[in-house]
Amino acid sequence: VTMRKCKNCGGTDIDVDQARGDAVCMGCGSVLEDNIIVSEVTFVENSGGGSSAVGQFVAGDSSGNVPSLGGNFHTGVGRESRAATLQNAKRQINHLGHQLQMNQHCLDTAFNFYKMALCKHLTRGRKSSHVIAACLYLVCRTEGTPHMLLDLSDLLQVNVYVLGKTFLVLARELCINAPAIDPCLYIPRFAQMLEFGEKSHEVSMTALRLLQRMKRDWMHTGRRPSGLCGAALLVAARMHEFRRTIKEVISVVKVCEATLRKRLNEFEDTPTSELTIEEFMRVDLEQECDPPSYTAGLRKQKLKQVTHQMDEIEVELESCRPKARGIYASCSKDGTVFTHNPEGEDDELRAAASHLCSTICGEDGDGNEQDRDGEKVSPTKRPSLALLLGALPTAASLGLPESITKMREEKENGRSAENGELDLSGIDEDEIDRYILNEKEVKVKTELWMLQNADYLKEQKEKEERIAKEKEEGTYKERKPRKKARRREPINASTADEAIEKMLEQKRISTKINYDVLKDLNKSSPKSPTRQTDESSAGAKRTPTARQRKPQLTSPKIGKMISSFGKRYGMELMMQKNLCYVKSFILSTPTEKSLLSKNTLKYILIGFDSSTLCNITRQTDNLEWGDFVCTENGLL
Amino acid sequence: MKKILESEMNIVSTVNLACPLDLKSIALQARNAEYNPKHFAAVIMRISEPRTTALIFSSGKMKLGFPAKFLDFKIQNVVGSCDACFPIHLEGLVLITSSSPELFCGLIYRMVKPRIVLLIFVSGKVVLTGIKERSEIYEAFENINPILKGFRKQ
Repeated sequence: VTMRKCKNCGGTDIDVDQARGDAVCMGCGSVLEDNIIVSEVTFVENSGGGSSAVGQFVAGDSSGNVPSLGGNFHTGVGRESRAATLQNAKRQINHLGHQLQMNQHCLDTAFNFYKMALCKHLTRGRKSSHVIAACLYLVCRTEGTPHMLLDLSDLLQVNVYVLGKTFLVLARELCINAPAIDPCLYIPRFAQMLEFGEKSHEVSMTALRLLQRMKRDWMHTGRRPSGLCGAALLVAARMHEFRRTIKEVISVVKVCEATLRKRLNEFEDTPTSELTIEEFMRVDLEQECDPPSYTAGLRKQKLKQVTHQMDEIEVELESCRPKARGIYASCSKDGTVFTHNPEGEDDELRAAASHLCSTICGEDGDGNEQDRDGEKVSPTKRPSLALLLGALPTAASLGLPESITKMREEKENGRSAENGELDLSGIDEDEIDRYILNEKEVKVKTELWMLQNADYLKEQKEKEERIAKEKEEGTYKERKPRKKARRREPINASTADEAIEKMLEQKRISTKINYDVLKDLNKSSPKSPTRQTDESSAGAKRTPTARQRKPQLTSPKIGKMISSFGKRYGMELMMQKNLCYVKSFILSTPTEKSLLSKNTLKYILIGFDSSTLCNITRQTDNLEWGDFVCTENGLL
Repeated sequence: MKKILESEMNIVSTVNLACPLDLKSIALQARNAEYNPKHFAAVIMRISEPRTTALIFSSGKMKLGFPAKFLDFKIQNVVGSCDACFPIHLEGLVLITSSSPELFCGLIYRMVKPRIVLLIFVSGKVVLTGIKERSEIYEAFENINPILKGFRKQ
């Protein structure tokens, strides 16, 4: 306990009385502290006579922003935003989880994932339902429950890919690598749904065995597990003499018929499909197949190669075969084809053809050993052909990579030196000329284009007309580019006349008001003496702009309008000569507001005393429609 | 070991022509241009040699599908594909990359060093995207090669 020193005598003997809240020096008797703040539990008496402790409950992990007295009562309960969010999330997780029949442990884990996501700000910009679904699915994956993302999206009625995107982001940010779903997990669930009754277990076992076989045959990578399950269950059901149609299976498994058929076809291609049921249950074949997409790719490549070679042969044959010219060309279509070098070339051609055939057959036999570069041709295989057939047309594929590298090199070397001017050397002039249409074609295309885009052109025309009209009326607003509206300087004028004149010059005024009359209005104002104290100023509460055109107003008209206004709102209008004083003027609804524009209200204000006019006019220029304030004295 | 093939599939780049353009006149006078202002505010022009597609905006900015020679030329994205020529065991890779087979049949592998995204398929084909320079392709290639060989079937 630190000893305090008395200010007067310097003594350290100080008596602190908690009850009275005093700190008194025992030496000289001077009071050092009065009304000491005591931090003890205090009690207040209830209406019922009992007493309760004073204080509020604050969460242990809260940041301590206590609600202010008489302030915002949203946090008045003592909870803060983060706690509220977490509570809400917990409720939603439990709700969804119970619909999926997930146990409490999973739900708690999901809640933990959500807390982590919240810390990493992953919930921002995403629907909370999506984030919660993603957390739940993450738990399903890590725990290995048989829940599909499709189930969650079914419950939420959300596109499964949208959920998937959120899930992937979540998994990536939380650095949780969920292991790939094993289709075997889904079998019990689907088997139950397919209602196999007593034999359910056996069918499941068979389906599991089928699935394992499929896995070894590499049919499951990159595929939806549910599709494979469906195929396995279908076959297993048939094996146990259950007549489950494809339609029933797909309604349970939620894939489409085409997928199921494809899986069945792929399974058909595997050697296991050749076995009988008993053999299948006993024997496990050693050989493993390639994934179907891989074999399909290989097949396509081979096909491309063969057709490519066949095309080349065709072209060569064409060029070697001399064409008959002249008027007899038509006669010799399939007739006498005379060759320059009769036997030699034929022999060569035949040799070439046979060589090619052998190479193609050789490829089929060897499988993987030949050149895989489908487009590039390995030089070792071709010399004989090349010699025989002459210069092969350089396959575009051969030359393409080379041309790319050449161009890139050129680009890096030469072009960087330019100052940005077009280097037109590489462009094919003829091609460019072909692209430009001649006049007739331009006309035709124009017509077609106009027809196609008629709607758009109409819209554009209307837009332009609208802009032109608004420009005319002086209300055209430049929407783009966005610049801040220039703030006008306040008018400094010595008299009201000057002020009004200046304002009229500056401001874009309505054409519906007869300004001369208004000027007269103003001139007659000095006659009315002190009216400051009595009248109230015109005021209008904050109103949104809903200006409309009014009929042209002259002084009597203004008066009439105001009086009609006054009658509507029960205002007191005091007419004095041409002046109108308006008392407590409140506009409440848009229709009523539209009757009075900003300008007229200003001019009504002008009908006040000259002494207040300067102030008013000075201020009216800067005031917006909603800035009038009710006051008593006529000063704004 | 077999050679791994590669072929450039697509390059996306932008260029600034530095002059405002009248899209309507361009569209009407060129054979190979299409212009549909209701849906998209640019002229789409296609050339066969070299095979490119260009989006021409009225501000003078152009988007090309192949390198050309213009002012301010900048390649935005290059997509390439290659073939490993052997089937790949994706399940093992999923543990590293966290990608769901339910959502997409290929694996999405985000490489860190050259920041490139690779789509790896079970047939052995790999698509690389997000490439800014040609050198990055080779780098990514060399990085992914041993990994793929490690997860090779058999």
